[in-house]
Amino acid sequence: MKRITILTGHYGSGKSEIAVNLAIQENLNCLIDLDIINPYFRSRSVRGLLESNGVELIESTIENAAGSDLPFISSKGSRPFVNRDLSAVYDLGGTKHGAKVMMQFRDFIKYPEDIDFLVVVNIYRPETDRANKIIKMIEELEASSQIRVTGLINNSNLMEYTDESMIEAGEQIIQEASQLTGVPIVYTFIEEHLKTTKTFAGENIILTRHLAKKWL
Amino acid sequence: MAKVLMKGNEAMALAAIKGGCDAFFGYPITPQNEIPEYLSYHMEENNRIFVQAESEVAAINMVYGAAGSGARVLTSSSSPGIALKQEGISYIVGSELPCVIINVMRGGPGLGGIQPSQGDYNQITRGGGNGDYHLIAFAPETLQETVDVVKESFDLADYYRNPVMIAVDGLIGQMMEPVDMDKEIPQKDLPAKTWAATGESGKRGSRNKIVSLHLDPYDLEKHNLKLKEKYDKMVENEQRYEMISIEDAEVVIVAYGSMARIARSAVKALREEGVKVGIIRPITIWPFPEKAFENLPESVHTLLTLEMSLGQMHQDVKIVNQGRYNLAFYGRAGGVVPETDEIIEQVRKYVGGNK
Repeated sequence: MKRITILTGHYGSGKSEIAVNLAIQENLNCLIDLDIINPYFRSRSVRGLLESNGVELIESTIENAAGSDLPFISSKGSRPFVNRDLSAVYDLGGTKHGAKVMMQFRDFIKYPEDIDFLVVVNIYRPETDRANKIIKMIEELEASSQIRVTGLINNSNLMEYTDESMIEAGEQIIQEASQLTGVPIVYTFIEEHLKTTKTFAGENIILTRHLAKKWL
Repeated sequence: MAKVLMKGNEAMALAAIKGGCDAFFGYPITPQNEIPEYLSYHMEENNRIFVQAESEVAAINMVYGAAGSGARVLTSSSSPGIALKQEGISYIVGSELPCVIINVMRGGPGLGGIQPSQGDYNQITRGGGNGDYHLIAFAPETLQETVDVVKESFDLADYYRNPVMIAVDGLIGQMMEPVDMDKEIPQKDLPAKTWAATGESGKRGSRNKIVSLHLDPYDLEKHNLKLKEKYDKMVENEQRYEMISIEDAEVVIVAYGSMARIARSAVKALREEGVKVGIIRPITIWPFPEKAFENLPESVHTLLTLEMSLGQMHQDVKIVNQGRYNLAFYGRAGGVVPETDEIIEQVRKYVGGNK
């Protein structure tokens, strides 16, 4: 994995759960929550969990105002771009509007070779259920962030109803988008409850849900 | 049918399109913004109308006008925005026009906060606007139920010529859940809207007028009594609720929306220990499901109302209880969502208690 991973995609594609999982499982130095789109279920809501795992949380609200939805971005968010000792995952808000936030960091990006800009795709989200829609989204995200997408993540799931065939169906459609764009699938995330022995495209990572409440 | 993964607000917006919504008028407010955002492009794709109004007051009056022309109309907002719409809602009821209103509730009073709440119960069930009026108000618990009632609401609104509100707390608007968007829902046989002001009076020979002004008190009382008949019919026919693990329950929780989801997880844990607890889950908060309280088993001694507000629905539970059972209440407010363990602790206070 590269030193910096930036996650983007449609809202509800699973970016925040993936960001928290990557930060904890890969022992990253920081998680930068740049979600200015969602008011709830953001990675900043698990500050305690991140900190107890040694991950510094940098969030996009004014400190101690997690209940606000003001689009404020901490300048601390640029640190991993200039300091090569820091590993980080960036969790962007959904859609092209959420990705636009990256624009302000453009001048800080000194080492583009250190960065993976990944699009999270769940084909069970109607806005990304076909290869042509995924490709259109990649183009929109690149245009608004001014960064080239370097990889795709297959996160096709129906939460607790997910089975292996759904991940395979996702892989098929995302593979089609991958072939047409030349952007590879770099990860497949697999719901924790699925005890599968199959291997899927890219690196396979077990996803633990940290943001969804027990009773949801 | 095939399920898809949807966010609550987005699912409600799509359900409105599937329910035959012709026009949407609204003004943004957190935590319901995905509804207008989604409709801002999908309504046009479906040759329907989307307008972002200059304010909530403008939006509800656009709803009033469009409903008067016979269109199926939707508006959506969150608590303080719904408060701004109350005058228009009263006019729409007074003029006997159908429309659907989605309220994704957040903490109040005033601007309050943006976290989830059920604090609009009184505003919804007692009416924030003037005069004797009521709305059918659904308070669904899952995204599937939410989608189904949104679709059905357009029919119900037309059937009664009255607004229908979908009242969910912010969590339901913001959460993700698999949904079958094409599940069959009950449909009503609806007469043509011969009352609509369509601009075709020349063809028809008489002019339809949409008014809520009745200067003659006897005339207005007659109108009030006619509306009352309609409300009585709603009370008779539209009470909806779910009874969960009631058969041998000692303590019965009364909870709706996200609170019912939390209560469900508490009941599951308590039942595993043998604690006899059940849930009455109102699906409509108006009409309040009085029928659910009619034939409770002998084992019941306490009703425990749970709300993400401070005792609003509890007043309705008191009215329907008529002194039969011990009453208890627990609520959190301001956007604080209780955890399952908190609810378990509350229930434990009352199990084994005296009848």
